[in-house]
Amino acid sequence: MMTDSPSSLPDYAPRNGFGDDSSDRLLSIENLRVTVHHGAATAVRGASLDVAPGEIVGLVGESGSGKTLTCRAALGVLPPGCAVQSGTIAFAGRDLTRLSRRQWEQVHGAYIGAVFQDPASYLNPNLTVGSQLAEVLRIRRRLNRRAAHARAVELFTAVGLRQPERVFHQIPAELSGGMLQRAMIATAICCDPRLVIADEATTALDVTIQAEVIELLRQLRRERDLAVLFVSHDLAVVSELCDRIAVFYAGEIVETGRTEEIIERPRHPYTQALMRVATVGDYRRRELQVIAGQPPGVGAEITGCRFAARCPDAIAACGAGPVGPVSVGLGHDARCLRVNEVAGNGMAGVTGASAVAGELAVR
Amino acid sequence: MSGASVAGVTDATAAGLMPATAAGPILAVESANVVLGHGWRRAKVLSDVDLVLWPGEIVGLVGETGSGKTTLARAIVGLAGLASGRVLVDGQQVSGLRGRALRAQRRRGLVQLVFQDPLRSLDPDLKVADIVAEGLRIRGGLDAGAIARRVRQTLSEVGLDASVLDRTPGQISGGQRQRVSIARALATQPRLLICDEPVSALDASTRNHVLRLLDELRDSLGLTILIISHDLSSLAGIADRVAVMYRGQIVEYGPADQVFTAPLHPYTALLMASAPSVRHDQPYSARQLRQNGPHLVPAADGCVFADRCAFAAAACAARPPLEQVADGHDVACHRHEEWPRLARDGAGPDHARPDRPPARSR
Repeated sequence: MMTDSPSSLPDYAPRNGFGDDSSDRLLSIENLRVTVHHGAATAVRGASLDVAPGEIVGLVGESGSGKTLTCRAALGVLPPGCAVQSGTIAFAGRDLTRLSRRQWEQVHGAYIGAVFQDPASYLNPNLTVGSQLAEVLRIRRRLNRRAAHARAVELFTAVGLRQPERVFHQIPAELSGGMLQRAMIATAICCDPRLVIADEATTALDVTIQAEVIELLRQLRRERDLAVLFVSHDLAVVSELCDRIAVFYAGEIVETGRTEEIIERPRHPYTQALMRVATVGDYRRRELQVIAGQPPGVGAEITGCRFAARCPDAIAACGAGPVGPVSVGLGHDARCLRVNEVAGNGMAGVTGASAVAGELAVR
Repeated sequence: MSGASVAGVTDATAAGLMPATAAGPILAVESANVVLGHGWRRAKVLSDVDLVLWPGEIVGLVGETGSGKTTLARAIVGLAGLASGRVLVDGQQVSGLRGRALRAQRRRGLVQLVFQDPLRSLDPDLKVADIVAEGLRIRGGLDAGAIARRVRQTLSEVGLDASVLDRTPGQISGGQRQRVSIARALATQPRLLICDEPVSALDASTRNHVLRLLDELRDSLGLTILIISHDLSSLAGIADRVAVMYRGQIVEYGPADQVFTAPLHPYTALLMASAPSVRHDQPYSARQLRQNGPHLVPAADGCVFADRCAFAAAACAARPPLEQVADGHDVACHRHEEWPRLARDGAGPDHARPDRPPARSR
C-alpha cells in the first residue's frame, strides 16, 4: 500500500509546481499509438488531443474505435497485452508515458481521478461505502479516522447524495446504481484532482439518473474548475455535456471541434453518418438510418482513409495515401480529403432529412 | 424464396402447429400481479398490470431499472408465476397451466422471447445452426431435412447468410449475434415476439439495423412485437404504441408519438426531459419536473410516483386508476390535467433557480 503523500516524492514538486501550471493545456496527448495483442496490431493510430483546465472534452465512437484505449493510456491502466507504442501523454507539462508504477500511484487520485461504467464492480461488496472512501482519505490525505469520516460525509453531500451519513454506513448492495455512481464520483474527486476521466460513466444508468449525473459533472466543473475527459458511445450524451468533441473511427480521431460545430456543421462524412444514426431527439415514426458496411477490424492496415470503404463520397484519391487532419475552422479539424466538397450535413440536414423520411414512414 | 423453404413452412402448418388467425387481441394481460422472494425479501414486482396487444403492432415498453419490464416479459412467456390475474395469448389462457398442458403450450412456440445480451443468452458451445434448430427439434414433427431448410430460411429472414451456420456465438459480431438470437426466436414461427432490450448492447448504426429488421419482420411475417428498450428516440422510430412502467405499474399507455411528444404522466415527462438529445427542444426541463425536497415515503396504496413527483397533492395518497383520457391514450395520474400548467407556470419547486444543483442532501 502506498503511504507517501504526493509531495514527499522527490520526483515531484509540490502540488502547485506539478509541471508547467501556467499552461492552457492540462492534458495533452500527442500522436499516441497504442498496440494490442502484444504488439500484433495497432488499435490507436496517432491520436492527438488537448484538455484545458476546467474543460469537458468528449470522446465518441463505436466500440473498438480506440476511445477507451486512449483514455486508459492517459490513466496508465491499459489492459494486459496493450502498450503505448509511441507518442506522448503530457499532464500539466509532464510526460506520463514514462512513469513507473510507483509514480503512477502518485498521479492517480491526486491529479487524475477516474470513474468507470459499472460502479458496483469497483467497490468491495462487504464493506460500507463510506469506509471505502474514508480509507482513501486516511491513506492519501493522512486524515485520522474521525476527520476522514467527516470529510467523506462532506464529499457525499457535494455529489448530491441525500442522507450522506446514512449512505456512509450502507454497503454497495443497499444503494441504487445512480447512488453508487455518485459515491464513485466522490471517491474520484476526494483528493481534488484537476482532471477526471469518465469512461462510459453514465452508460449503465437509467436516463433520469444519467441526466442527474451529467448535471453533477457540470456542477463539479463549475465549483472546482475540474476538467473531464468523458468517453461515451452515445453522441447525444456527449453533446449534452461536453465543450469539445473528438470523434474516433477505427483508431483515428477523424474530427475534433467545439460541440456546436460538430453537431451543427460536422465536416467528416463519418461524423455526418453518426449524426444520422444517433439519438437526434426525434420522436416521430420514421425510417431509422444506418451506416452501410462494417468498420475495419481492430488494427487493420489500410492505405488511405479508414472510412473510405463505407463513405458515400469516397473517390479514388481517398484510398491512395494517408489522410491527415485538415483545419476547417478555429479548433475544428476533419481528417477528410474532400472536406470542402462534401456537403454540410449537420443538425439542419438531419432534421430536414428525417422530417421527409418521417412523413414517408407514417402509416 | 426457394421451393425447399416453402416446404418447411407447409410441413409446420400441416402438423397443426400454426395457430389459426383470430381477430381478437394477440396478447391480453389482465390484472397481473407478480410477487417475488420470500419472507422479508418478499416484494410485489407487478401490481395489477393490464396490457393488450393487437395483431401486427409493435409496442414499446419503457421504464427504469426495477420497474418490472423484464418481469412482465417473463410473466407473459410463463417464466414468472402470477400471484393473481391471467395472461391470454390469442384468446387462450396460458398462465396457470401445468403438466402436459404447459409443455404442449411451450412446444407450440407461439410466444418467443429475445433476451438482452446474446453473448450470455446463447450457448457459447453450440453452432448457430444448432441454436436456431433447437426449438424446432424440441417441438418435433419435422425431419432433419425440413429443420435444416427452416433454419436457413429463418437466417435469411433476419439477413444472415449460410456462412454463419457453422460458427459459434463467440465467432460472430455483436449485431450478427443479436440477429441469431432473433432467428432462434423466429424458428418456431411465433405470433408474438417479446424482445427484452434487444439493442442496448449495440452501437447506434447496428442498433438501427436490428430495429429496422424487427419492423420489416412485423410486415413480412405478420408478427406482433413487444420491445423493451430504454432508447426512446430509436424506439419512437418503429413503435406504434408505448407503455410506460413505474414500480410495477403501467402509468401511461398510448400511441407512441403522443406519449413521447405530449406525455400525460409526470414520470413520462421526466423521462423525456432527461433523455439525452442533440436537440434541446423539450417543452420542460428535467429540473422543472423533479421533486427536489426530501424523499417522501410513498403511501402503500397511493400513487407509485407521488414521492418523486413535483406535483403530488393530497389526492395522490390514493392510487390513480389507469384511465383513458384521450383517444386510445391511457394515464394513471390524478393531476394529469393540472401538472402541465403547473410545470409551465414554474410551480415546480426548482423552476425559479435554474442553477441549483440537480439533487442535494439535507
